[in-house]
Amino acid sequence: MFLVAPTLAAFAMSLTDWNGSSNDFAFVGADNYTRLAADPIFRQAIGTNVRFSLTVLVFQTVLSLGLALLLVRNTRTNVALRALYFLPTVVAAVSVGLAWILMFDPNFGALNGALDALGLGDLAPSWLGDTSVAVYSLALVQFWQHTGQVMIIFIAGLQAIPRDLYEAAAIDGATKGQTFRSITWPLLAPAAAIVVAYTTIQTFKAFDLVITLTDGAFNTEIISTWIYHTAFQYFQFGYGAAGSVVFLIILGALTSLQFRILRVDQ
Amino acid sequence: MHVSRAPHLRVVALLSVLAVLLAACGGDSGLDSSASDAAAGGGESESGGDAAGGGGGESGGTIEFVHWRGEDVEVLEGIIAQFEEETGIEVNQNVLPSDSYNQQVQASLVGGEGADVFTSFPGSQFFTLAESGVFADLTDVEFADRFVPELIEQGAQDGRQLAFPYQLVFNIPVYNVALFEQYGLEPPADWEGFLNVCRTLRENGVDPIVFAGNVSPSQFINPMLMNNAPEEDIFEQVEAGERQVTEDWFVTTLSQIAELQANECFQQDPLGTRQEGAIALFAQGNAGMLALGSYAMATVAQQNPDLEMGLLAPITVSADEAEWEGINTTTFLLGVNANSDQQEQATQFLEFLTRPEVASEYANGTGQLLTLEEVDYQTPALQAQTEWIDRTTRFQPRFLIRNGEIAEGLLTSVEQVLGGTPPEEAAATYQALIDRARGA
Repeated sequence: MFLVAPTLAAFAMSLTDWNGSSNDFAFVGADNYTRLAADPIFRQAIGTNVRFSLTVLVFQTVLSLGLALLLVRNTRTNVALRALYFLPTVVAAVSVGLAWILMFDPNFGALNGALDALGLGDLAPSWLGDTSVAVYSLALVQFWQHTGQVMIIFIAGLQAIPRDLYEAAAIDGATKGQTFRSITWPLLAPAAAIVVAYTTIQTFKAFDLVITLTDGAFNTEIISTWIYHTAFQYFQFGYGAAGSVVFLIILGALTSLQFRILRVDQ
Repeated sequence: MHVSRAPHLRVVALLSVLAVLLAACGGDSGLDSSASDAAAGGGESESGGDAAGGGGGESGGTIEFVHWRGEDVEVLEGIIAQFEEETGIEVNQNVLPSDSYNQQVQASLVGGEGADVFTSFPGSQFFTLAESGVFADLTDVEFADRFVPELIEQGAQDGRQLAFPYQLVFNIPVYNVALFEQYGLEPPADWEGFLNVCRTLRENGVDPIVFAGNVSPSQFINPMLMNNAPEEDIFEQVEAGERQVTEDWFVTTLSQIAELQANECFQQDPLGTRQEGAIALFAQGNAGMLALGSYAMATVAQQNPDLEMGLLAPITVSADEAEWEGINTTTFLLGVNANSDQQEQATQFLEFLTRPEVASEYANGTGQLLTLEEVDYQTPALQAQTEWIDRTTRFQPRFLIRNGEIAEGLLTSVEQVLGGTPPEEAAATYQALIDRARGA
């Protein structure tokens, strides 16, 4: 009831020209979908979303795997460091965004301050104001916040690998690289699959971080913020609902992909 | 037995805590409720009738007042306390965040409920709400005479006064008076003079204009446009397809913004600077102008009480061609819910807010200029703005754009030019967006 009814309502709304406030609306059939297909801003939002997701996916997966390999042993220091890296995950994305606005500030921000101190001040980009950079700045904040979270999944995966396989490899004289390629990575694949699927869906659903940092300006509009702006700022609820139905299909495909991967794991 | 019961007890305890938290959250329906008379019996308004609020002493009923200005709550609480004492009508003040205000208020009002007294932004939100019929007609109220007539036009539609704009803002740059005096500068009267001000300040190591990338495009574009397109209905014509933004008036405006950028009139990375950073930079006293508006003066004064400020507008044409001196926005439109059962009490509250002594208390306490005739402005920041009430200013053109997508596109065109896109290309992109929005 809580899933099907709103979904059907959104689909029904997407077939109208309702503006969100008037009692009057007209049935427009598939017009909103036809318009979506030709809308360069919606296409741009999909493209931006893909760039954002891929950037986060690559950096978050590689960094979290690296950290997991470093912190896999259950020493006191490692446990404390895991908790430290996990900490940003429990902070609200809006709070994280507001903190990073200060970090990115070109005049007072810590990032430019650090680059200045290293004599690299001239290389400082416009973190949030350059259309070719801003989406990667958002990706930086996203994977900064969630790397510690997926690191835990990798650590769980690493700790589930039987120790005797490593002992056998050591007896056979395998190098560290060979051990990683032949034992660690294949047996870590199920955890990696979960991380990849989870991160992909998480980045497609990113909303509050984008709204807080750029509000979709400077080429950072992603699908979820496009839907919000179209419906609630431009008062085109019918058209926004059509976008949300397309978004639902994209998320549904990603989720089914995730389930398939999980079944492989089983 | 003992071992198996413990987890259940923990679950019960956890659920109890959650229930208490949910009850606490649900009490104000998610609103930042600050009922002015909390001791008087709860924060919920009694929208069903004229029942006594329980603490007013008289059976005046309870009305709900919703707005977005969290920074005004304390001042308004004091004013509401006076109103409650005089009338016995209890007022529950609810504040919603400004960025989600439109959605939440609109949903509740259009749904046939909502606050008895509510505020609206001017322009597209007002038009949308007016078309939904949620405003009670206030055309014949006697206190309408207390307003400056031309400053309440944005609350009227089809000859009916549906709301009263309460605050008056000038959306033109704030300037540092001491710095201008130090370098022998005067507020310029034409475009060449404006460029000379920028060059002089830059030559002396001062950032001429501090620009906030997330807000200034929506502010600075207004005075830049006002004399290049002096017709007040210019965007009405654009939305009707009668004028194009690829014409000279708009391309010239974008070109002049690009010219300012080329002359290093803005600080380092203007688009990457956020409003808070821009205000802090200007408040340090080492910047000539702040490309926001008069509303920022109170915040600057808080950060640097010694900074003397004035207002000036970039005149983009020659002095003899200039028709407008600046931009005004009349906002915080006060309206009465047409679906309210307590319209009389709600209107009484509006009357109270417009009394000169009450309005003065509000203006000086919040640092806001008002649309009323008789207000005693006492702070230096407000006194610096009062001379602009009699200047030749026009209502913010951006707010006259009814289509939100077209309004947003205007800002994008400014951002594109500051990002290096040629003005002609930015204008063409904007026109393409307008054409799509008009065809939708």
